[in-house]
Amino acid sequence: MTTSPTATDPGGPTIVEPDRERRSLKLPAAPLFVLAAVVVALALVYTVGQRETGLVTQSVATGLLLGGVYALVSVGLTLIFGVLGIVNFAQGAMLTMAMFLVYEMSTSGGIPVYVATLLAVPVMFLFGVLVQATLLNKLTMAGNEEGPLLITLGLSLLIVNVLLMIFGGRPLRVPGSVSGRVEILDAIMSYERLIAFGGALLVAGALTLLLRGTSFGLSIRAVSANTQGASLVGVDVSRVYALTFGIGSACVAVAGGLMAPFLSLTPSVGEQFTILAFVIVVLGGLGNVAGAVVGGLIIGLVQTVGALYLPGTGSLILVFGVFVLVLFFRPQGIFGATR
Amino acid sequence: MSATSTAGTPGTPDPGATRRPSVGLDDPRLKDRSTSRTYAALALIVALLAVLPLLLDEQTEAVAIRTLIFAILAVGWNLMSGYGGMFSFGHAAFFGIGAYTDAYLLVEHGVSPWISMLVGATISAAAGTLIAFLCLRYRLAGAYFALATFAFAQVFLLAVQNLDFLRRTEGFNVPLLLEDSWSMMQFEQGSPIYFWIPLAVLALGLFGTVAFVNSRAGQYVQAVRDDEVAAASLGIRVMRYRLVTVALSCAFTSLAGAFYTQYYFFVGPEQAFGSGVSVNAIVPAVIGGIGTVFGPLVGALVVGPLSEWIAQILRDPPESLAFLQGVTGLDVAIYAALLVLIVLFMPKGIYGTLRDRFRS
Amino acid sequence: MKKVSLAAAFAASALALSACGGSGSSGSADGEIMIGAVHPLTGALAGVGSLMNNGAQMAVDDINAAGGIEALDGAQLTLGEGDSKGVADSGQSEAQRLISEGAVALVGTYQSDVTANVSAVAERSGVPLVIDVAVDDSILEQGYQNTFRIQPNATSMGTDGAKALIALAEANDEPIESVSYIHIEGAFGQSVFDAFAEEAEANGVEVLEEVTYPGTNFTDATTQVREAAAADPDVIVATGYYPDSLLIAQAVEALGPDVDAVYGVANGGFDDGAFPGDAGQAGNQVLSANYHYAATDERVQDIRTRFEEEYGKPMETASMLSYQAVVVIAQALEEAGSDDPEAVREALAGIEVDDPLLAFDGPITFDETGQNENATVIVMQIQDGEVEQVFPEDFTTSEPVYPTNR
Repeated sequence: MTTSPTATDPGGPTIVEPDRERRSLKLPAAPLFVLAAVVVALALVYTVGQRETGLVTQSVATGLLLGGVYALVSVGLTLIFGVLGIVNFAQGAMLTMAMFLVYEMSTSGGIPVYVATLLAVPVMFLFGVLVQATLLNKLTMAGNEEGPLLITLGLSLLIVNVLLMIFGGRPLRVPGSVSGRVEILDAIMSYERLIAFGGALLVAGALTLLLRGTSFGLSIRAVSANTQGASLVGVDVSRVYALTFGIGSACVAVAGGLMAPFLSLTPSVGEQFTILAFVIVVLGGLGNVAGAVVGGLIIGLVQTVGALYLPGTGSLILVFGVFVLVLFFRPQGIFGATR
Repeated sequence: MSATSTAGTPGTPDPGATRRPSVGLDDPRLKDRSTSRTYAALALIVALLAVLPLLLDEQTEAVAIRTLIFAILAVGWNLMSGYGGMFSFGHAAFFGIGAYTDAYLLVEHGVSPWISMLVGATISAAAGTLIAFLCLRYRLAGAYFALATFAFAQVFLLAVQNLDFLRRTEGFNVPLLLEDSWSMMQFEQGSPIYFWIPLAVLALGLFGTVAFVNSRAGQYVQAVRDDEVAAASLGIRVMRYRLVTVALSCAFTSLAGAFYTQYYFFVGPEQAFGSGVSVNAIVPAVIGGIGTVFGPLVGALVVGPLSEWIAQILRDPPESLAFLQGVTGLDVAIYAALLVLIVLFMPKGIYGTLRDRFRS
Repeated sequence: MKKVSLAAAFAASALALSACGGSGSSGSADGEIMIGAVHPLTGALAGVGSLMNNGAQMAVDDINAAGGIEALDGAQLTLGEGDSKGVADSGQSEAQRLISEGAVALVGTYQSDVTANVSAVAERSGVPLVIDVAVDDSILEQGYQNTFRIQPNATSMGTDGAKALIALAEANDEPIESVSYIHIEGAFGQSVFDAFAEEAEANGVEVLEEVTYPGTNFTDATTQVREAAAADPDVIVATGYYPDSLLIAQAVEALGPDVDAVYGVANGGFDDGAFPGDAGQAGNQVLSANYHYAATDERVQDIRTRFEEEYGKPMETASMLSYQAVVVIAQALEEAGSDDPEAVREALAGIEVDDPLLAFDGPITFDETGQNENATVIVMQIQDGEVEQVFPEDFTTSEPVYPTNR
């Protein structure tokens, strides 16, 4: 009954909140099942898939690296969606914004890309805090779901078109970063993508530490689990909301900076990630950082290994198919508790 | 102004009252007066709008027609999401079904668009009902419902791009005729009939909205929207009335798609099923006022011509704005800012807010 | 009657607002002749759209500076700018606006779907449309009388691309036996591939692998390139747009397959002026068969120099095509001796424009569907960070390196 309309329950987002106690009991079943399914699927591809082994290994490697990129975008979103209940349609646009920020710093300022990425983090954090405090807090506090969705939709259009006004529409490149590649088990991976992958794990680890190991993390989790209760015991909910959105935006800054070296920058480059990130967040379970990472890796694999059999947009249909099925049958995600 | 004469009934429940328990709505005296007034206002608006194409030049008429398509989309969306409380982020799916049914039947089989409209509406209603049934059956609400509908629209888009009989990404061109034909819904460029057809569809939608809102199904579905548990405990068959609403909304939305194909002579996957179409259905309704009869119309009148106005200003800007000349993206930026501001400061939309102000 | 009055007020204001909108100037006043240009000036394609608009504007300025349309007493041209925003319905209403403001001919529109709409408007209004860029074959398969296209279509680029590759390889004593083909999904990529494959097979060149990828959510081409390379072809051929082609070039560099060359056909990336800089080492010696401005022509060099001075950006081929389209229309005006759209259409149908600014097989002449009969592709190669024309010999700015020593 947690998904009934908001009219009677203005206290918080009507998302399915993972029941923490039960989750720790039920944890192994679903994730293990999914893990097993992935392993079995890959084994099938290798043995009876009728594709050259090297090619499959390459597509698995590419898929995992791509998944790392997806995870990077998704960890910020899962926090925002999970804690605030906001369907942040501006996630992709904010990603683009971070990329252009890094672009500007490294071309005009001559700052190396990865240093610029670190500089972009506090900027995007402040931007996120500001957005939540000025545009979203009132609606989020009132438990309104559609309002924030519309605002972030508007924000997304606004960011994209302001970037267009400033930078124009031609693809831009961030110059001079790490070049080169490494070969592992007959699969080739570029350093830039490996760095992005490592960044995803790092960000996920840092977030987990923050959520699990600090008192601020505790208040985030408290607000996420029970807004009214947290507020009663003295947590400043609106502050937690603003900071959470800020952290979600800071994650996007890392994502943008790490992805900028291997993508052509246009004002619309980030938008393609938005909907995939939602798929991943739902797959991994709301507010679940580890779930977002695993979800990202799975979607990355489905897209690249799936493309060996269903080329082009075919693999995307597969992704959306998985999404709808998860929504129907396991809306709390793989890592969420059973209802 | 006669505005003060009815001040004796301050809380007159408008059929489109947003998100408020509809107590007293069943009082027949109130309902009849309110409803007949709404009908009169609608008739007046439609009559006024019907004169428009006779006054407009061809280019402005094109903008007006685009505005009508926005309005039809928004009215359809409003039925399901405003009154029904099921937030659809995938109305492109139903617009697209209408557009593609028309294009496919016309180009491949020479079927009259009027018949295709009915066929498209039927398919669209069936698809919408199925999608909504699944979503509701698995208890998706709010943001989840929105995401699911979005995903379905994306699947439709990808599917069309991969289906040979729908010509994949190539799209359909409507064959040109040498002379006007009512049966093939094709007229001379700039003909006022191109305005009157969507206007008639819109009128159907607006009158239909009022009738629906006052019908048993409409009353029930609003009760369900406002408090599902209470409505269910009163014995309302929640699922059935919700699905009826969805079917009506989707069928109506598909009409806009069919007309789109006829008017623009070309439709491809992006024009029909792109996520921009879903946004175009939502934004006018939100700007005008969700869950009100007139809101979608008002919103469309703002959004439809907006980019044209801005483009016109920028084409020959006053000196103070000269620096903006040649800048690209400004119109959408303003559109986006408007959306944010309205949601933030006028949550009931332009029409809803003004109406409340007039009342009090 | 509150509600009625409020609602009526809205309707009345709508009337008033719409009436404000209808202030477009009518007819070609002051002896000026308007050519309408519809391009994506806003939206994701605004970059290239503005360049094309600039190209058309520069052609208008040049013609005016040279005395306007002589046959019409030196009448001056003006360019009516239309913004398609990259979407079809805006393209249509902008085309209608330009026509109602008195445009005698249209130029546009870069995208195939928008062009399909605008060509229907042109046909119904009896105003000719000269397509500068828009590739899909289907646009000219509607039987329209008012649509003309300067650039080659997808099919002919596929065919000519295959011919050029085979001839180039033979000229360098390294005949090819097989290729693998990577292309973007959709009508454009598919028609180019189909035509290429047909021509290649007819000449005994085997197409070992066809690998496709989606136009969206495509951020890594490693798997696709590996799949193409796995069949051990002589050449990897690629058709797509800018960002995806860049990914493909990077993946080829990363994987280092043992092929004679990477060869683009109708490729939106490989011969773009920004590509060598963006791709770096990955772009080196990549070949590309595409329609292209004639870099060897002095007039073209002059136009490109002045364009860069005027607009601060290099003039890409698309921009040159817009320039060319205006020139074609101007010549049609001269030959018609009239600014009546129907007369201009007649003149276009029988026109012969010598010395095209593009590297074509001959003068611009339109067949009965409106397609430029002499439109074709030439082969370019990235050498030392520059896009050089390397084949056929008439247009070379540099010798081809084939097989490429990657």
